[in-house]
Amino acid sequence: MKHLIPEFEKLKARFPAGFESSLVLPCVRRIQEDRGYVADDDIAGLVEYLGVPRIQIEEVLSYYTQFRRKPIGRFHLQACRNVTCSMRSAERLIDHLSQKLGVAPGQTTPDGVFTLSTAECLGSCGTAPVVMVNDTYHENMSIEKLDALLEELKGQG
Amino acid sequence: MPEIFINGQPVQAEAGQTVMQAALANGFYIPYFCWHPELSIAGNCRICTVQVEGRSWVEISCNMPVTEGLHVLTDSDLVREHRKATMQFITLNHPVDCGICDKAGECTLQDYHFAYNGSASVSREPKVHATKFHDLSERILLDNERCILCSRCVRFTREISKSNALGIKNRGDVSLVRAADDSPLDADPYSDNVIDICPVGALLSKPFLHKARVWYLKPTPSICPGCERGCSVNIWHRKAEWHLRALDPAQNTSIARVTPLENPAVNGPWICNKGRDLAQVFERPRADRAMQKGKPVELASALLAARNLIGEAKRVVILVSSWGSNEELAACRDALNGRFATFIKRDHAPLPGERIEDDLLIRPDKNPNTAGARALFGEASLREPAFEPDTDLVLVWGEGCNFATLPAGAKIIFLNSYLQPENGHADVFIPVSVQTERAGTYTNFAGVVSAFEPCFPKQPTVANAQDVFAAFTQDAVARS
Amino acid sequence: MPGKQLLMTFPVTATSHTLADYVARGGYATLRRVLTQLKPEDVTKEVNASGLLGHGGAAFPAGRKWGVVHLNDNQPHFLCANADEGEPGTFKDRWILENAPHLLLESMLISSFALQVRNAFVYIRGEFDLPYRRLAAAVEEAYTAGWFGEHILGTEFSCDIVVYRGAGSYVCGEASGLLSSLEGKRGYPRNRPPRLTVQGLYKRPTVVNNVETLANITRIIAEGADAYRKVGTAKCPGTQLVSISGHIAKPGVYEVEYGYPMQQFLFDDCGGMLPGQKLKCIVPGGISTKVLTAAEVEPLTFDHQSFAGAGSSLGSGGMIAIAEGTCMVRLLQVMLRFYHHESCGQCTPCREGMGWLHRIIDRIVAGEGQPDDIDSLYRISRLQDGMTICGMGDAAGYATIGILDKYRDEFEYWVANKRSKLAGNLEGTVHA
Repeated sequence: MKHLIPEFEKLKARFPAGFESSLVLPCVRRIQEDRGYVADDDIAGLVEYLGVPRIQIEEVLSYYTQFRRKPIGRFHLQACRNVTCSMRSAERLIDHLSQKLGVAPGQTTPDGVFTLSTAECLGSCGTAPVVMVNDTYHENMSIEKLDALLEELKGQG
Repeated sequence: MPEIFINGQPVQAEAGQTVMQAALANGFYIPYFCWHPELSIAGNCRICTVQVEGRSWVEISCNMPVTEGLHVLTDSDLVREHRKATMQFITLNHPVDCGICDKAGECTLQDYHFAYNGSASVSREPKVHATKFHDLSERILLDNERCILCSRCVRFTREISKSNALGIKNRGDVSLVRAADDSPLDADPYSDNVIDICPVGALLSKPFLHKARVWYLKPTPSICPGCERGCSVNIWHRKAEWHLRALDPAQNTSIARVTPLENPAVNGPWICNKGRDLAQVFERPRADRAMQKGKPVELASALLAARNLIGEAKRVVILVSSWGSNEELAACRDALNGRFATFIKRDHAPLPGERIEDDLLIRPDKNPNTAGARALFGEASLREPAFEPDTDLVLVWGEGCNFATLPAGAKIIFLNSYLQPENGHADVFIPVSVQTERAGTYTNFAGVVSAFEPCFPKQPTVANAQDVFAAFTQDAVARS
Repeated sequence: MPGKQLLMTFPVTATSHTLADYVARGGYATLRRVLTQLKPEDVTKEVNASGLLGHGGAAFPAGRKWGVVHLNDNQPHFLCANADEGEPGTFKDRWILENAPHLLLESMLISSFALQVRNAFVYIRGEFDLPYRRLAAAVEEAYTAGWFGEHILGTEFSCDIVVYRGAGSYVCGEASGLLSSLEGKRGYPRNRPPRLTVQGLYKRPTVVNNVETLANITRIIAEGADAYRKVGTAKCPGTQLVSISGHIAKPGVYEVEYGYPMQQFLFDDCGGMLPGQKLKCIVPGGISTKVLTAAEVEPLTFDHQSFAGAGSSLGSGGMIAIAEGTCMVRLLQVMLRFYHHESCGQCTPCREGMGWLHRIIDRIVAGEGQPDDIDSLYRISRLQDGMTICGMGDAAGYATIGILDKYRDEFEYWVANKRSKLAGNLEGTVHA
């Protein structure tokens, strides 16, 4: 993560003095954006840079759902299964995705292209059902739209 | 000084206290798991709830500031109902391991179950499983199923030992206490305190694992000799009435474990790991026969021979042990000082890798009674020993003397507890008792005098150094 | 339009979120007046007089929260906008972040001035994509235009802002959990005392306000407290953004004037139910509020008193319309699964209780329920209520007890017959 330090320095300048601990979340996010996940030596590097206890970073990585210490597929499909999305057919969508991709939620396709997860409420209930593909919200989904989306993503893959 | 009322009784509280502190200080018991007088307030176990009179709900007392005129109830029906519910929540997924758990007999969860719940589980769900017997460090075993996530261990490493070794990973009911990946708990010399403060049998001492049920053991107050702090400790060994009828008598005269003995003047409730390992110090192979130049003799003969050597010598140098108790050191001075040059020997030096000093407990002098010796023999005796050319007798008391540095032609009287080759080279060798075999006091670096009590009897062929010195007085020497 | 509008007062276009458009609407003029003509006390006085309520779910008067912070106490103060918006059913702060980010920023600058805040934060949930990008872009525009930084408009007032992204944790929407996260740690809520306005971020006085609460500040200062009080009701001044979803024909974000009739809102403004569906019940304000049946909702007006009188709450403004034919047992199962997933694990009743509730309802759904399981659900909910470090214990309790109180028959049916009365359906039945 050392190549990200100049960026981190700029970020640090936006915070008041003494806020090194606060930098853990944004630095971890940036490291994950860069590598796809957070590796063990990223943690060591961040400990050195921020001067926070190593255990704090390990706790943060395990506590928040968005952080991961292992790589996943090229496209992370996160389908919300909370109340409104379930009321608007999310369960059928998730079953369909699972069948189509041949993996259960929590797994990655053997070719490493798709990882399927379920998610809790994404704050998009008005356009339910919602599926995230990496960082992007895909709203008002249906089985047809999902199939089209998968084709498009496979094309990119 | 706010006045509050606990169960209707007036209590003088102190400004800034919590209701929990005021209650405990005035003889009212409020149960607690996560609260600890030396740690920050976590307020997560929820067992310490009380009811403010007039309110229809309960609140935790460990975080409730006292205010003038506050009326609280610690044992109302509502409090009892919630305490029982909290116990049901805590034991929801707690394994009934008591039969195989070392903590049984000193377990807060057991005690509170009987005091505040006493019922079988009301849940029909299978218990959630977690890691059992996880190696938290080389010394400590962690059973996550037994853990109630009170976070005392985490707060200890963050606030007291400052190793930041422990944390809680994941969340919800899959939370797990864990050490950081690079195992910093091994490097924390205070790590084992988390075993004491764990209110359940989640954190266990590996050296003590499955050694003995605690109700068969007796704690004897003693002092850790590991450094000049002289932390108060309890040395645990089998109670006389629970002695094992075993072939090896050592089973009944060995140290089962060492724990802190709370002493606000010296160490608070903590000790460092060195104190936990006192068995490794006191149970090294012992010298139990007096000798003259390696030949075993009766103790009386050895004492007589030693007295003769003292009487005949032209110039004597004495190296006293910084592990001698104040009483032994006084006997030595009364008998021999004034006549002979005396130097205080630091029996033990720091081991490679051992922490020298910190601002918690650990002190640089790794001997328990240098201060006591200094008080008796004077500042000058702290210097490196200097041997006048005509020194012809050296009395060495205790370990740590490099015999190669002694004058070549001088005779040697050696008082020692442990088997070492030099015992056989001494002109007179007298085996002496160790700390756990007698009573005495040490003076720590700050001048605090503490007492230790005997745990075990000494062998009849082993002498107490105090008696040996009494045998070396001028009169005794003259008479011999 | 459900009553007078205070926030959704401009057409949403491709550029309406930009600085240029905002300024054209009069943006930052109020800030200019505040910085050059008013004192901090003037602002707080106006906010107090307006009776502005919190819009995050607790409805705590904003002015009263601000009042705990002592001015000139020789220590830093912090202001944080809560944009975590994690309560299921809620997506209304998102409207402000996407379409009126500068309104939030101007309001935060005015609030920072009033509270002597040098460093402000927006804590935004990590999943938000467009709302984050729009907000981040607005912050850059504002910095470039000189609305943030040192000596703004050449006055004594300096202020910096950081948009801080969360990483997936519902309890980070709770103010103290939010601050724990903002300190770079797990999102563990904290016991009170001390209140956050006394010891918050890094133990400094901190005001955490919901995005929508703050967004109202600019207009209150621009037009005065009296003008604000003319909107809404006497006890509930102003408006609330409502995000409505579920089996409703026109889901989305609406600005509802307090006091507006619910029947009109649901069946005129929101277009009623989806074709062929009938209203069974609503979740009024996020799943942590007690459900109200169609009959109970009918006479209500949209304000705190009316909903409290019906035994529920307006909560976070996340309204969900549920059609006849929806299985309430399955619906509660989804909710309990959510709470179990989101429990931070810190305190005993929630950590153990959420898992317990979830496992019981899973067992009922699997056809292995016993009659006393329903009483267990009640008992566990009641024993969590008020016993936890944060409101999560109470929240799961309201969700569970609310549904059990009104639809106990569905649970009893499933236990007795080992299957749903309504085929486990969550999508509602369509009536011909």
